[in-house]
Amino acid sequence: MCILSFLLPVIVGLAINMLSGMSFYSLSETSFGIVKSDLSHQTMAWLQSNGRVVAFKNVDELKAAVLDPASQMIGVLRDENGIKTFLSGDELQMNMIIGNTLPKLYAERDAVAASKITVIPTANSNEGMKSLLIAITIVTAMFMGCTFNAMSMIGEKEDGIALINEVLPMTRKDFIVQKVFLGFSGGLLSTALTAFACMRVEAEHILPLLLIIMLSAFIAALAGLFIGHFANGLMGGITYIKIVMILFLSPPILFYLVVPAGSTLHLLSYLLPSSVTFYGLMDMLNGQMQNIGISIIVLLTHCIIWLLLFCIVSKRGLRRA
Amino acid sequence: MRRSFPSILIKDFKLMLSSRFLFLALGSLILYSCYINFIYIKLDQDIYPVYLYDPMKTQIGVSSEVIRVDTLEDLQAQCADGHSVGIDVSSNEPEVIMVTSGITSTDYFRAAYALSLLSPESSYTAELIGQNDKEMKNRREITSEFLFFELAAVGFLGLASILFKEKQMGVIRVHGILPVNKSAFIISKLCLFLLSDLVFTGLLTVINLGVSAGLNVLPAVLIQAGILSLIMALVGFFCAVQLPDFKQFSLLYLVLAIFITTPVFIVGQTSIDWNWINFHPMYHLFMGMKNAYFATSSAGGSYYLACGLAIVLLFLLVHWALTGEMAKEG
Repeated sequence: MCILSFLLPVIVGLAINMLSGMSFYSLSETSFGIVKSDLSHQTMAWLQSNGRVVAFKNVDELKAAVLDPASQMIGVLRDENGIKTFLSGDELQMNMIIGNTLPKLYAERDAVAASKITVIPTANSNEGMKSLLIAITIVTAMFMGCTFNAMSMIGEKEDGIALINEVLPMTRKDFIVQKVFLGFSGGLLSTALTAFACMRVEAEHILPLLLIIMLSAFIAALAGLFIGHFANGLMGGITYIKIVMILFLSPPILFYLVVPAGSTLHLLSYLLPSSVTFYGLMDMLNGQMQNIGISIIVLLTHCIIWLLLFCIVSKRGLRRA
Repeated sequence: MRRSFPSILIKDFKLMLSSRFLFLALGSLILYSCYINFIYIKLDQDIYPVYLYDPMKTQIGVSSEVIRVDTLEDLQAQCADGHSVGIDVSSNEPEVIMVTSGITSTDYFRAAYALSLLSPESSYTAELIGQNDKEMKNRREITSEFLFFELAAVGFLGLASILFKEKQMGVIRVHGILPVNKSAFIISKLCLFLLSDLVFTGLLTVINLGVSAGLNVLPAVLIQAGILSLIMALVGFFCAVQLPDFKQFSLLYLVLAIFITTPVFIVGQTSIDWNWINFHPMYHLFMGMKNAYFATSSAGGSYYLACGLAIVLLFLLVHWALTGEMAKEG
């Protein structure tokens, strides 16, 4: 059972890898909804050059699709001097503006076709969504180590092994080393396999990737120790795990998507180890290697600080006991 | 039997209090509400910023959206993110410069949009046909997601934690020889968890949607929450009876939380098309919940029939498992 849960991220990684890039590709494209045989062929072709076009049988179906809260679709219909658009009103700012300006762009389409447009290509683009999912899966795999450690410590507490350990001739250092090692090796293995399953990494990048994974798995295992130390019962442990899981998984994605690189908030997000891991992995997936060194150094600092903190905390706990 | 049911109910309630289940639910309520009100409703995506390099000041009447820069290097630096668009009008013809976003059609639109800002603005606005603005949509959407996650996860977990505690204390063994109906044993737990889930649902909805909008959708939402709560509690009951200890159970929980609900969210949240999701039972439960929050027509009789059947079947399954467990315990 335990081994199975370590293997799960690997399976998800394989699944993501098998999903074609296309299904994610369509996500970030602007989508327009039209009614069949309402627009002329030329208008259709123009619309298709601006985004994904979905045709519906009648206006009611189109309206239902535009109203669907999950979609950002913009409805386009024929008008006497061009096209008119409609929206449901709950779209993102960007899609609102696209809906408002589309008729104007349609009127000016010839001028745009005649002007000079330079598009600079980048390496590894259009995989944005996929690499995001891969990075999330890898971070989840690391989190498994944390859960394992927390659960094993709480379990020992409940069974009374923790009390026995205190009279056994085992030093605190041995205990920490042994615990961290268990969760760490499990998390590391799971993460490395996941990364191997879904990342294509060049030979010279394997070492930095391995370093990032090792350091993050170590921090995750340490987080598990913290939870195990503070939690009194299983239910409390679950609460902590849930909170740490939310903190571990959601801010990095949020920071990555919303906060522009270089801002103060972006710098502050380095205080959270999982977001550093996330940035490192995303940089690696996007082929930008210049910031990897910074991520590794920050992660190493995190490792040292959290380890020291845990030593202090557990010493205090012992004294109280 | 009639007198024993209230005492079982009271015993289960005491267990719930001692396992800090209510504390956990309250913590989640605060955490989710803070996230929704302080972070989620503020999420938005702005239109592409447009930068203009115009050393000769030839362009007049450009839109106020356009940001002017002084050098060509500055223009190139600003447009390196794959989102912003630059226009260079230092020669006669305006030239659009941008780093690709990875999608050809989006790039084409970005260029057309940037150029349109150079000519006088039009006053056209698209017709709005929906009832919700973006903030209300976000509130409804994220509240339904959190509620779904919380009911699926906590109903599952809470009941199991109590049952494991009872197993440890030997309560199941004792019940094997007591003249208490096994159905009463199951139903008392279900009642308590249903009640606490419904209270949680009411609070989460009213806090995050506002009183009037919240009360409007609450009846429909409570029905969906009740269905989900019963199903998940029964599943949790069954797993807890079958699995030997809580540690294994919590790993199963993690698997459920991350890997089973994630595809449901991906499809429910975005316009991505995966046909296989129709075979995912949780997807229908999620859509029922989401439709209730948006007050749109939900699934018809067959959906409720399937849910009712599932609940009855799960109940029978749990009953069978419990009988087996009691027989095993002696």
